[in-house]
Amino acid sequence: MIEVSHVSKWFGDVVAVSDVSFSVGPGVTALLGPNGAGKSTLLRLLCGLTRPSQGSVQVLGADPRRDPALFRRLGLVPQQEALFEGISARAFVTLAAELQGMAEAGAAAASALHQVDLDPHDRRPLATYSKGMRQRVKVAQALVHHPELLVLDEPLDGLDPRQRLHLITLFRRLGEEGRGVLVSSHVLDEVERFGSRVLVMAQGRLAAEGDFHAIRELMDNRPHRLRVRTDRPHALGAALLASATVVGVWVAGPAEVVVDTLDVARFRLAVAPAACAAGARLLELVPLDDDLESVFRYLVGAGARSAR
Amino acid sequence: MKALYRTFLATQVTKGRLAGLGALGALAVVLGVALGAGDGDDPVGAGIGLVSSYGLALFVPVTTLVFASAVLGEPNEDGTLVYLWLRPVARWRLVAVATAAALTAALPVVVVPMTVAAAATGAGTGLVVATLGATSLATVAYAGVFTWLGLRIRRALLWGLAYILVWEGFVAGAGGTASLLAIRAHARSLLARLADGAPELVEVSLATSIAVPLGAAVTALALTVRRLTRQDVA
Amino acid sequence: MSDARIVDRGYRRYDGPRLGVRGAVRSLAWHSALRALGLRRTFWAKLLPLASVGIAYVPALVFVGIAALLPDQLVQGGGVLPGYADYYGFISAAIVLFVALVGPEVLCPDRRHRMLGLYLASPLTRDSYLVAKVLAVVPVLALVTLGPPLLLLVGLTFAGAGPEGFGEFLTVLARIVTGGLVISAAYTAVSLAAASLTERRAVASAGVILVLLVSTVATSALVAVGADERLLLLNVGAIPFELVQRIYGQAGRTPIPTAELVVANLAWTVGAGAVLRSRYHRLRITR
Repeated sequence: MIEVSHVSKWFGDVVAVSDVSFSVGPGVTALLGPNGAGKSTLLRLLCGLTRPSQGSVQVLGADPRRDPALFRRLGLVPQQEALFEGISARAFVTLAAELQGMAEAGAAAASALHQVDLDPHDRRPLATYSKGMRQRVKVAQALVHHPELLVLDEPLDGLDPRQRLHLITLFRRLGEEGRGVLVSSHVLDEVERFGSRVLVMAQGRLAAEGDFHAIRELMDNRPHRLRVRTDRPHALGAALLASATVVGVWVAGPAEVVVDTLDVARFRLAVAPAACAAGARLLELVPLDDDLESVFRYLVGAGARSAR
Repeated sequence: MKALYRTFLATQVTKGRLAGLGALGALAVVLGVALGAGDGDDPVGAGIGLVSSYGLALFVPVTTLVFASAVLGEPNEDGTLVYLWLRPVARWRLVAVATAAALTAALPVVVVPMTVAAAATGAGTGLVVATLGATSLATVAYAGVFTWLGLRIRRALLWGLAYILVWEGFVAGAGGTASLLAIRAHARSLLARLADGAPELVEVSLATSIAVPLGAAVTALALTVRRLTRQDVA
Repeated sequence: MSDARIVDRGYRRYDGPRLGVRGAVRSLAWHSALRALGLRRTFWAKLLPLASVGIAYVPALVFVGIAALLPDQLVQGGGVLPGYADYYGFISAAIVLFVALVGPEVLCPDRRHRMLGLYLASPLTRDSYLVAKVLAVVPVLALVTLGPPLLLLVGLTFAGAGPEGFGEFLTVLARIVTGGLVISAAYTAVSLAAASLTERRAVASAGVILVLLVSTVATSALVAVGADERLLLLNVGAIPFELVQRIYGQAGRTPIPTAELVVANLAWTVGAGAVLRSRYHRLRITR
């Protein structure tokens, strides 16, 4: 459905997307990356909203920059919050359906609003809508014409957990129907629930792509950093080194030791016997680098290392 | 396209704009009535003066600027243009509907009070018809030009005012070749010709005074379509 | 002995001199003036203000050129070049545009970008903030109200077509300065008052232009058809220029007594200033 080949995009001196290649087929694909990773720019390139500085983009066999007819088969939830504030949700989605050339635009709009759990009969202007409601209106206008490919830029931003679950279920169902759903997010847990295929971006580059579980395994190969609070940090550090489950140890304070390990599971099994052997009391064991940023740093580092 | 037209219209025609521009229109009528109540020797000349100096120099271009620069300019700046751009609709259709909406908003606000003001001067049917023709022509031309300006640059309202004041008012107002490139000069020429008044700065044929503003509008619309096709959308 | 040291990279106190309210006013006025002219900003931000300043000087340069090229007798005989008081007639569009740009540029962005709260967290109060803004706008407006006739005076003097004698030169100079300040004061007040009514620069600019031009066109038209001449006292766009005529000892375009013009000009200046102050004193600053 999507073929991206060596695409780069720069704005003046700022490189937003750098030499990215990938392809996306039917089903849900999650585009994962921290803020500023280049996700939104990449999605804008896919929809033809901006031209690549280098490389080529093919969406459903067409160039999105040259062929407006493609937009009949494509739906986008953009990142920006602005909507036509003075009109109702129904009028806004009806406008989208009419511009898509749908005969029963009003009925289609009502159905799309219903799909995202909004009241099609609500006559209030969009200016009065909360952030969560606005996000759902944006989703409704993107799927009102039943597109083959749906591109969503952080669609769950500002939604409460119940609404998140509702939309995630909707996206998965659309994917199962054979539509392409490309959805971006910077929240790791959220992505895990979309499905198994992910694209990971960091610093404008593609850091990883493929099955989510395979990437998690790749992520698990990186050294993990943990903090252990204890009353005898020096003795515990020595005992952990002797257990051969850590690749680095340093005493970070009078009651604290920080370790690097390649195998967290083995380390967890070894830490209590080591403490016992060292006569140290274990007070706390905390992973320090399970946040998304550190995962990306590792992935980008891995990319650079493999390139060398 | 009806829904698109209605949306453009709804986003442009705000209470604040209608109140402000309506007050300017009401002032035109007051001036027309005052002119009619006076006992001048040359009511046609005075009427042309009013329509020309208040209407064509100020009220018509400013009102059209307010609506036309916003019609595509505001969606472009606030990011809602994407909801129109990312549709299987020919770009010229979007531009045509936007301009039609700007004209729908501006024409009644401008033409009605100016025509009423012309009638109130008591200068006769000739001035009323001339006012109707000249203000309509100028509104159409400015709508084309300012729709393009709104899409092309940020703060188009300010640049449009600068254009009205500096180019049309200062440079072209001095006469000569520059005035041939000013919508106002052609509209004034049409007004004077239709109302049988004294010749204006630009002495051109009736056909030229109509063709040049319409040509400017069509050229500007073509540039707007080109811009909409090529520009990045937020 | 070891020369090792740990550098404290945490919060540091400012130990330099503290310039107080005066320093804050001076600094804000200076930066506001630069902003109004588009200096240290993008090309597009410079273009309109500098173009309108440029346009204001063009006639002066042309007149000086004419004086230098034409025979002295022709120039001295009068009729070839306009008087200093009439100069403003050539540049009124540029002045109006510049006035419409400067006031909104100086006031609106601080409110739109929520910077006003930050300024008021400094030694500045609402009044001293406004004083700084006025101090920025008056000299910037003087660039178009005072500069061009001054250039004309100096240029004509060098071309041998200036005032006769040093005393006469000083008289013309004093008239130019007074006239320029009269226009600057009234237009500063109107421009800032309009800018205090909206956060959007373009809307404020449009408002200034409409107030100045509509008042001129409307009052002139009404007076032309027999309304009372004193209606022109409502014409804030033209009163300062009419006053300038009187400063040069000329009759001007209306029979309204000079004292009434002075009062009207003062009333517009003070009235617009009061609107400005009232708006800023009632402004709720949430962040």
